[in-house]
Amino acid sequence: MGKECVTIVINDIRNYKWFIITGLIAVLLTIPFWASNYTVSIFLLIFMYLALAQMWNLLAGYAGLVSLGQQMFIGLGGYTLAVLTELYRAPLWSSILIGGVISLIFALIISAPIFRMREAYFTIGTWLVAEALKIFFSNWGYVRYGQGFFITAAYQLTTTHMYYMAMVIGLGSVAVVYIILRSRLGLGLMAIRDNETAAESMGVEVFKAKLICFLIGAFVTSIAGSIFYLYQVFIQPYAAFGIDWTVAMVFIVIIGGIGTIEGPLAGVVIYVLLRQYLYNYAGISMLVLGLIAIVLIHVAPKGFIGTLQEKLGFEFLSPRRR
Amino acid sequence: MVQDFAQPILNGILLGGLYAVVGIGMAMIFGIMRITNLAHGDLMVLASYLSLVIISGLGINPFVTLVIAIPVMFFVGLIVQSALINRVLKKGNEPPLLVTFGLSIIIQNALLLIFTPDAKMLMNSLSTKSIFLTNYLSVPVIYLVDFIIAVALILVFNQFYQKTYLGRAIRAASDDEGAAELVGINTRRIYGIAMGIAMVTAAIAGVLVGMTFTFYPFTGTQYLIIAFGVIVIGGLNSLLGVLVGGVILGLAQLIGAEFVGTGYQLLVGYIILLLVLVVRPQGIFAKN
Repeated sequence: MGKECVTIVINDIRNYKWFIITGLIAVLLTIPFWASNYTVSIFLLIFMYLALAQMWNLLAGYAGLVSLGQQMFIGLGGYTLAVLTELYRAPLWSSILIGGVISLIFALIISAPIFRMREAYFTIGTWLVAEALKIFFSNWGYVRYGQGFFITAAYQLTTTHMYYMAMVIGLGSVAVVYIILRSRLGLGLMAIRDNETAAESMGVEVFKAKLICFLIGAFVTSIAGSIFYLYQVFIQPYAAFGIDWTVAMVFIVIIGGIGTIEGPLAGVVIYVLLRQYLYNYAGISMLVLGLIAIVLIHVAPKGFIGTLQEKLGFEFLSPRRR
Repeated sequence: MVQDFAQPILNGILLGGLYAVVGIGMAMIFGIMRITNLAHGDLMVLASYLSLVIISGLGINPFVTLVIAIPVMFFVGLIVQSALINRVLKKGNEPPLLVTFGLSIIIQNALLLIFTPDAKMLMNSLSTKSIFLTNYLSVPVIYLVDFIIAVALILVFNQFYQKTYLGRAIRAASDDEGAAELVGINTRRIYGIAMGIAMVTAAIAGVLVGMTFTFYPFTGTQYLIIAFGVIVIGGLNSLLGVLVGGVILGLAQLIGAEFVGTGYQLLVGYIILLLVLVVRPQGIFAKN
């Protein structure tokens, strides 16, 4: 009886999926008009971390690339924005975009050596690149060593502006992952995930598929990083290239559900709310998140959403065609 | 010219010994279970703080704190392995990696909460002393002590692997898990003990690092990369490789610093490591 009810509800949700999504987006669009500044900034953070987590999920959950160096693209994006707007008075928008392009080119350059590394070597290799950049930037006079920049161009913008920018990158990242997974590339990725050797012998271009994900991840992560630094205003190498970014991505994806599009959506809400709730105790919130993540890897390796989907047999944003 | 480089070369070699102690436990775990313990550096720093607490409580020499730190860290390793890692070993590459990553973040933040972000050091009389060989060349005593302990530790490990049942069982489990189980080796238990032993080396490394340099709650990451570098450069096949890997990394850092300035010291080490990863990901001294 209960099970039938659930099935009926699920079918209803499925039929009205796009209607629900449009409605949700409409509500999100109106938030700056009626919500408090605090609420707006919470949503802003949720959207930004959503973009970061979606990209990490695309790499780790679908392309089998567990990178611990994604912060390199945040640093590159943030620093490009800071240098172009502060030193050259370049327009904001093009600075953000150029940052994305620089990250993309940097990803392309390092992909040749870094893709030779497998599994744990890849993981630590990416981390090493980010750490190397961190030290390089803090010793580089052109970017004012470890002193950092105040990105004064950010003062042109209100929280509302930034909210919409974050919304575009946050929801855009969900759309990008959804489109990728429904494309030929997505089919290839899933084949690789199930059996890399078999996929390769069936003609899936494994290297190319992984590379495309890595590049898309670099670009979107960089843009999200720039937007974050517009919001934060101050950039400094140890934070910009710090592992904390990737820690956030990893925790969000594991808690929500690795290898699902909806997972990061749930994970990011838990992450941001917990961080805000324990704002004055930064260490404790990371401690709690770390414990939750470790426990979940043991008891529910697919996270909250992945486990729920298994129980209900229903995915809201299924990458499969029906 | 020679005088300029003699000191960094000497320091680099000696520092390499310390790096070998930092890396040896991680190399062992990597070799046996094929897992990368991303919390290795943080567990080592945990041992540094443990020693710090014992010193402030009992006022004893840092070396004497090892009497307590070694057994404590052995049990920490045993518990980490049996409670957290053994259960996810068969679930692919990512889960063990992510579990140790989570553990690393937990340790860092727990240390931050308890000990604040201030730099700490294990005070001792050795760290300020130097033996002057010439007017230009001196041996920092603590570096020398680090190196001697590293060599001793590697000799002990060599004997342990060759001569004891446990050492042979660990080697068997790392060569072929299935076959080892067939001849009656409980591999899960062996893994637990192996992690315990790895943490004994981390305890020794933690005390030595704490006596030689300052440390913070987040220093673990830096030593994780050093440990990884030692493995990558030295390869997994020999204990001597670990020492050679440490020495190469130490030399690269200090000679590099002589050329490009001390600010870039870590960077030079990282770049050498990346180059090795690209050219010979199996390690310079690996057999195949």
